[in-house]
Amino acid sequence: MNHQKIVLLVVCLAFFVSDTALGGPHSPQEPTLPAQNTTPADKSKNGQQGPPPGFDFQKAVRDFMATGEPPDPEAVKRGQAVFAPNCGFCHGSTGRGGSGGPSLVRSVLVLHDAGTSKEIYPVVHNGRISKGMPAFPLSEAEVKDISAYLLSLVQATALRDEYKILNIVTGDAGKGETYFKAHCANCHAPNGDLAHVASKYELVALQTRFLYPKTEWFPGMPPPDPRELSTATVKLASGQSYAGVLNKIDDFGISITDASGAKHSWEFDAEPGITYEINDPLKGHRDLLKQYTDDDMHNILTYLETLK
Amino acid sequence: MKLRHLLLFCVCFPVVLAAQGLDPADIQKPKPGTWPTYNGDYSGRRYSGLKQINAGNVRDLKSAWTYVTNAGTPKSIFGSGDVKSTPLMVDGVLFFTEPDNVWAIDARTGHEIWHYQWESKGGIHIGNRGVGIYRDWVFFEAADDHLISLDKNTGKFRWSVQIADVAQQYFSTPAPMVIRNHVIVGVGGDSLDVPGFLEARDPETGKVQWHWNSEPRPGEPGAETWPDEESMTHGGGMTWMPGTYDPELNLLYWGTGNPNPVHAAQGRRGDNLWTCSTVALNPDTGKLVWGFQASPHDTHDWDNVQTPILIDGEIKGAKRKLLAVASRNGYFFVLDRTNGKALVSVPFLDLNWSKGVNEKGQPIPNPAKEPKVDGTLVVPASGGATNWPPPSFNPETGLFYFSATPSYAVYYLTDTGPKPEGYGGRDTQLWGESVLIAMDYQTGKIRWKHVYPGQSQPHLAGILTTAGGLLFTGDPSRNFIAFDPVTGKILWHAKLDDETSNGPMTYELDGKQYVVVGAGATLHAYTLQN
Repeated sequence: MNHQKIVLLVVCLAFFVSDTALGGPHSPQEPTLPAQNTTPADKSKNGQQGPPPGFDFQKAVRDFMATGEPPDPEAVKRGQAVFAPNCGFCHGSTGRGGSGGPSLVRSVLVLHDAGTSKEIYPVVHNGRISKGMPAFPLSEAEVKDISAYLLSLVQATALRDEYKILNIVTGDAGKGETYFKAHCANCHAPNGDLAHVASKYELVALQTRFLYPKTEWFPGMPPPDPRELSTATVKLASGQSYAGVLNKIDDFGISITDASGAKHSWEFDAEPGITYEINDPLKGHRDLLKQYTDDDMHNILTYLETLK
Repeated sequence: MKLRHLLLFCVCFPVVLAAQGLDPADIQKPKPGTWPTYNGDYSGRRYSGLKQINAGNVRDLKSAWTYVTNAGTPKSIFGSGDVKSTPLMVDGVLFFTEPDNVWAIDARTGHEIWHYQWESKGGIHIGNRGVGIYRDWVFFEAADDHLISLDKNTGKFRWSVQIADVAQQYFSTPAPMVIRNHVIVGVGGDSLDVPGFLEARDPETGKVQWHWNSEPRPGEPGAETWPDEESMTHGGGMTWMPGTYDPELNLLYWGTGNPNPVHAAQGRRGDNLWTCSTVALNPDTGKLVWGFQASPHDTHDWDNVQTPILIDGEIKGAKRKLLAVASRNGYFFVLDRTNGKALVSVPFLDLNWSKGVNEKGQPIPNPAKEPKVDGTLVVPASGGATNWPPPSFNPETGLFYFSATPSYAVYYLTDTGPKPEGYGGRDTQLWGESVLIAMDYQTGKIRWKHVYPGQSQPHLAGILTTAGGLLFTGDPSRNFIAFDPVTGKILWHAKLDDETSNGPMTYELDGKQYVVVGAGATLHAYTLQN
């Protein structure tokens, strides 16, 4: 199901994951924006300027997903060690069902237990003889650890934004290079702006960014690469002309920041005869998005991955 | 009559009148100027006959009042504190919600009459669509899956009943829908592969009147579209948006969500009925009369809960009772609502996931575009080609209006086991833009569209059309806009401090028409400047 805001959430996460957690762009190597540039912040949702620096995004997502606090990692480790030899045969080594035993990840009893062992302990201790489950003479502490382990499995299933993406380098680097030379080399060079690009980005971030580099941004996140930002030239009826980074455009007005850092805004209604031209450096990426086959995508990534 | 009794009578009589509340017959035929149910009426058209505010004077539309919810509290970055509900207007009072919160405010002034807050026991607080009203009782669904009844006039708590288990990761968002003495409640939640259902509850007691499962049980029709009992009893199909109703046919129409596990589908081969479907149920029994599946075997999170709008119209010169849906998968469908047969099945964007439509008018998914370990590039992203923000049908223009987004995402399969659980995959969204589409329902041809400039993250917005020759909606740049519904020309706008977050609505009180829209935590009301 998943509603619109979840999408926003995933988008936000994609930033964090691609740009920070996965070892994203080393921004010191890239020019940074003037501090007063508020373009991307204008785009932040919900009428606010984004979370403060140091904001624990992963915790915020977990809280939002309402899966409860994560269990103690040490207890999870101990619980896994008890679970595998005692429970794994019937319930599967990862608790998702095995020889005769049901999945415990979506067991109603386990979900109600929620890491407390209150629900699980009597079942483990007494067994469920009618269903073929014997009693296990495990201590209360051991069952408590199993309970923590099961909670970790439930949370790992429910927290989809923490799923690990598997191997995505499956293409043909040679074909990727050929595609690159034909479609990308006008703007990018493997020994120029893309030198060592594969060591700057984790794979998923690299794939996401070559498909479409993002401009959305809010305080606390690494600033976008200025090369991604649209620029605009605005001409007034008087003949006066302004150029700069595009801050905002909608059906009613346009706003830019010029080279001196000064911000200029116009309302179209109040400025008869106003014209403007926008140069969006990401247009080439958008045009290619419409053309890529999945093979192209895999080949390009595999080629870019050689640019260590 | 003794004087004392007469006095008592005089004092009590108006109270008695007020206490009659909303008769369900007044939902079926709304009194002029009212808005007694989520979509304004049972048809889901969100078209109002009011025309005091019209194309000729809309330039004089000005703010009448604003109301800020939970003022002073920090705002969630996930939109939990946004007004996603459409207010009901009954007896001069607006009733609306955010998760766990219900407000009654004076529709003339925006002054608060009462505010009720539910103490939550959990659940994802992503949004709430509002209330249902039956006589003097207000009903809403809390995120932790309780149906709560309040006294309409005082906000006093009457009772609550649990409708689903929050520990299984169900959470609830719909506005309950009142049909006669049935309070229809749906549920959401797909973190842990739970089955969807729809229920009717008794307005006096909250007791279950009927329960309809989104998935068949073994041996029932449709069971053959699942590999086994386990897959169908964990199959999703959430009922997280309000439906529509045809009183003549006595059929309740509801959209269902995607199947689970969401992206990893190797454990649920088959069409997976009745997920991603429009279903027609008998509202007195909950029995399925027909179903139409918009996305057989969905693997992209494209539920079909978008409003099934009822149109009494014509197709190829013949008068028909129709139902139209602009679906999250990017197709526009028109069905014969007596039997569920598809008459129009047309994509409204350049999609790349389907191989055309089959003889029943259903898209044929291309297996090559299912999520893969190394990723598949798909249009649209998991947020969909459109989503829950309400569309509108205007019988005067014959056009169906909705908010859409061409968008791209890479879908990854992250669980390759034979029995995945949860989502089993994820998508990374790349680019999208927001478009307002005016669709000829008879052909599925786009009559006009408006692409909002300067954006790379889509914002979908709800829509209202009126007999005043106006279409109200929001853009991605925090403007509330009135369009000419015939030409798509912009006639008026107001700058807000947030994007619009609900479906706009309208009502008339004391001879004055109001238009109300939610944007973030604020409700904005507009009237003509005198």
